[in-house]
Amino acid sequence: MSNLDAWILWYLDSPWRVIGAAVALLVFLLLVVYRDDWFFYARLMLKSLRRNLVRTALTSIATFVLVLVVTMVWTVLYVLDRVTAEKSQDLKAIVTERWQIPSQMPFSYAQPLSEGAAKETNDVRPSDSMTWTFVGGTLDPAKRTRENIVFFFAMDPAKLMRAERDERGNLIRTKTGKIVFNTMMDDLDQLSDSEIDLLDQACREMEKDRRKVVIGKERLAQMNKKVGERFTLHCINYPFIELEMEIIGEFPDGRYNQSALMHRDYILDAMDAWKRKNGRPHPMAEKCLNLVWLRVPDREAFRRVAEQIEESPDFKSPAVKCETASSGIAAFLDAYRDLLWGMRYLLVPAILVTMSLVIANAISISVRERRTEMAVLKVLGYRPGQVLILVLGEALLLGVAAGLASAAASILFINTYLGGIKFPIAFFPAFFIPLDALWWGPALGALTAFVGSILPAWSARQVKVAEVFSKIS
Amino acid sequence: MEFITLAFRFATYSLALLFAALLLILGLQMVGVLKKVPFSYNIRNLFVRWRITLMTALAFTLVVALMTVMLAFVNGMYKLTASSGVPGNVIVLADGATDELFSNLGFGDIKQLEFHPEIVKQDGKPLISWELYVVVNQPILVRKCPKCGELVRVNRFGEKLLEHGEPSCPGSDLPITGTRGRRFIQVRGLEDPVISAAVHNLDLYEGGEWFSPACVAPLPGGRSGQFAVQAVIGEGLARELGPDQGKKSLEVGDVFDLGPNRWIVTGILRSAGSTFDSEVWTKFQMAGELFGKNTYTTCVMRTEGPEQAAALAKDLKENFKSPAVNATPEPEYYASLNSTNEQFLGAILIVVAIMAIGGVFGIMNTMFAAIAQRTKDIGVLRILGFAPWQILVSFFLEAVLLAFLGGLLGCALGLLANGWTASSIIASGPGGGKSVVLKLVVDGPILLSGMVFSLVMGCLGGLLPALSAMRLKPLDAVR
Repeated sequence: MSNLDAWILWYLDSPWRVIGAAVALLVFLLLVVYRDDWFFYARLMLKSLRRNLVRTALTSIATFVLVLVVTMVWTVLYVLDRVTAEKSQDLKAIVTERWQIPSQMPFSYAQPLSEGAAKETNDVRPSDSMTWTFVGGTLDPAKRTRENIVFFFAMDPAKLMRAERDERGNLIRTKTGKIVFNTMMDDLDQLSDSEIDLLDQACREMEKDRRKVVIGKERLAQMNKKVGERFTLHCINYPFIELEMEIIGEFPDGRYNQSALMHRDYILDAMDAWKRKNGRPHPMAEKCLNLVWLRVPDREAFRRVAEQIEESPDFKSPAVKCETASSGIAAFLDAYRDLLWGMRYLLVPAILVTMSLVIANAISISVRERRTEMAVLKVLGYRPGQVLILVLGEALLLGVAAGLASAAASILFINTYLGGIKFPIAFFPAFFIPLDALWWGPALGALTAFVGSILPAWSARQVKVAEVFSKIS
Repeated sequence: MEFITLAFRFATYSLALLFAALLLILGLQMVGVLKKVPFSYNIRNLFVRWRITLMTALAFTLVVALMTVMLAFVNGMYKLTASSGVPGNVIVLADGATDELFSNLGFGDIKQLEFHPEIVKQDGKPLISWELYVVVNQPILVRKCPKCGELVRVNRFGEKLLEHGEPSCPGSDLPITGTRGRRFIQVRGLEDPVISAAVHNLDLYEGGEWFSPACVAPLPGGRSGQFAVQAVIGEGLARELGPDQGKKSLEVGDVFDLGPNRWIVTGILRSAGSTFDSEVWTKFQMAGELFGKNTYTTCVMRTEGPEQAAALAKDLKENFKSPAVNATPEPEYYASLNSTNEQFLGAILIVVAIMAIGGVFGIMNTMFAAIAQRTKDIGVLRILGFAPWQILVSFFLEAVLLAFLGGLLGCALGLLANGWTASSIIASGPGGGKSVVLKLVVDGPILLSGMVFSLVMGCLGGLLPALSAMRLKPLDAVR
């Protein structure tokens, strides 16, 4: 990638930079074109839009609604693109069983895999790691419904959240006031200070008492349970095992709304107890490690660790594979590739064309109604280019305003009220509209307004004074 | 041929709709409504203002076409699950398992199931299929080189093409972006493929044969002593794997990589339209040994018919405890996999509803503008004696006609998607599920919903402008 590409990508990464540049460009264009009295023309555009409020309102609402659909679709695609984009630094790698889905490895793999199968002094070791064991169960074995089935990630609670505290238990902060904490889970760094504090306390409680669990807010509501309540989990994938649990916390709104988390030692202890009681190992004893997550500093370190693991004779039965998290997620999403293709290349373009048509309709009607006005403007000495920009400006103003309003409203309504877009794809419970939508919306509005209004504006530019006045006379 | 059939079907539906519209117009005329409405004036206007008519109708066309394609996708998923289950079959999974992937029938004396009297026999053998279902990672090790067009192997991380060509192709070491590193393949290990095929009502295409009891064959082109695992594959999977070898579809005798072994195709399943279309079938022992799972996950039993199947499922659930099992009539089991479909359908309906709102405002805009342009015409019509309600009906019908034309075109466009294949997952809930290759199905109900949707948009969008036209005062209008 060239420096220019890298710079462009960096620049486009922030919506504020893009919005700033777009606004600056617009102001610049207006200043250049209407350098003497641009304010007058801007006012003229607003007046024209105000003249037929019904038309302006209807076109704006149509644009608003269609930008909303595109924003929703793009949100899903944006999130999926982001999680499947390969990072070059601070990567997360996943180690799983090489051939089979779901991955089921013996727990004896956990320790050496967490160290990246490093044996020699010059072998690369991951900077952090985490193991996952999936425990699915039901609250009512006689009546298994969607509401009473829960899937837990059994893991070391310290890997979920570990905030540093002083002797008195107060949170330690950096010089800039940020809480010092460590997590192996994605997106938890976006939590507020109070949420970090609560989650850290919950994790410490789980370490003291393995029966304690943390469950997502939405999942709790579906289970009709509250923090503080207890229940028995009748395991589905760990037959013959029942676990007493106490809910001590809930995940805040967001990505972990549907998640549930328990201490990994709880399920391991339960299988040991089963072995003591029955005199033989539990059927899942050698299959209770599902995933190992590793954190590595860069791609070179990832390659070395992947080689160490995949070439190690210690992990042959079953064999394992090591891949970047983004590559692993991309493989899961592969089953939906046609659906995603359709969303990206059929749905979005068709909506954009529909938006352009709606705007084109409104602007061309408006131009037809105002041919006399255009002719008068020309008589007054306006150049054809100025008439063109006047019509284009009107459409752009409408498109940008409706697009911005739509994006802002969708962020407020969908993220805060609806709890994200619930689209059933892979293991994503909900998709939250990113702040980038604040520039997608106006950009989409502007683009479709431009495409829709360029022909009517061109026809306005070509209005012939003699023709118009001869018709009037 | 398929397209011609569909085009014919679409033409039939369109004619039926047109006929219905004609009947409506005749009916209205009979009761004297249309005679009193300046409808021909509205139709002429649509032609005179053809650009606006075209753009508005096109907006309808796109919205309806999108809706048709999206519904065809979900319809395809529903058809797939509906056609995968045999009415007389009962599927048995481990107690608590709702998905084959998480089922384990390895506890207790499960083979006792074979002696159940409800099971139908064929040549003295009970029609019961013992199966092991696993999902296997298949790394995609080859890519088409963009420089020379040859299929080339990639490095172990799937990052770049390996050195190839003589002299070296400029595509060597070319980084790979945006392509898949691996796919998931569903493998079904069977005790007796003939019995299993009979239970699932499937057979092989001409020239194919079931895998042998040993389930291995000499590897074509391999050294002496090199063997490949024998397998029968679904036709959808054959099409999916074909391009890896530069072919449209794998054929009998072709070799592919799966897991740590090489596999040879002995037959192609006639499985289009069922979930088995994306599967590899092989010997139970072979699948178990290769993928480290030595117990059955699934047992499918054939009974005389749906009633017997329901009774057998109930009996097994209540009385079979060696071990306890989850028995379900097969159509019911596949219907439970519609959970994903329902969620997709919900998401699609939301998108369609929001798009419809946009469409309604779009047509409202056009109709308001049409009325604003024709204020004088409306004044003249009122002076000629047309009553306000006649003006209302005429402009309302104009909007509905626009919507009808747009909808008709949209359905025709959407119909092109019929028969497209797409991959997806069907599941009964979180986790598990089956990767499937499905065909988009545009059928009568979908075309009809497209038309109804378009007409509803037209009615909603046309009503307010028509009301405003009705309220115009004749003298004010002509002034």
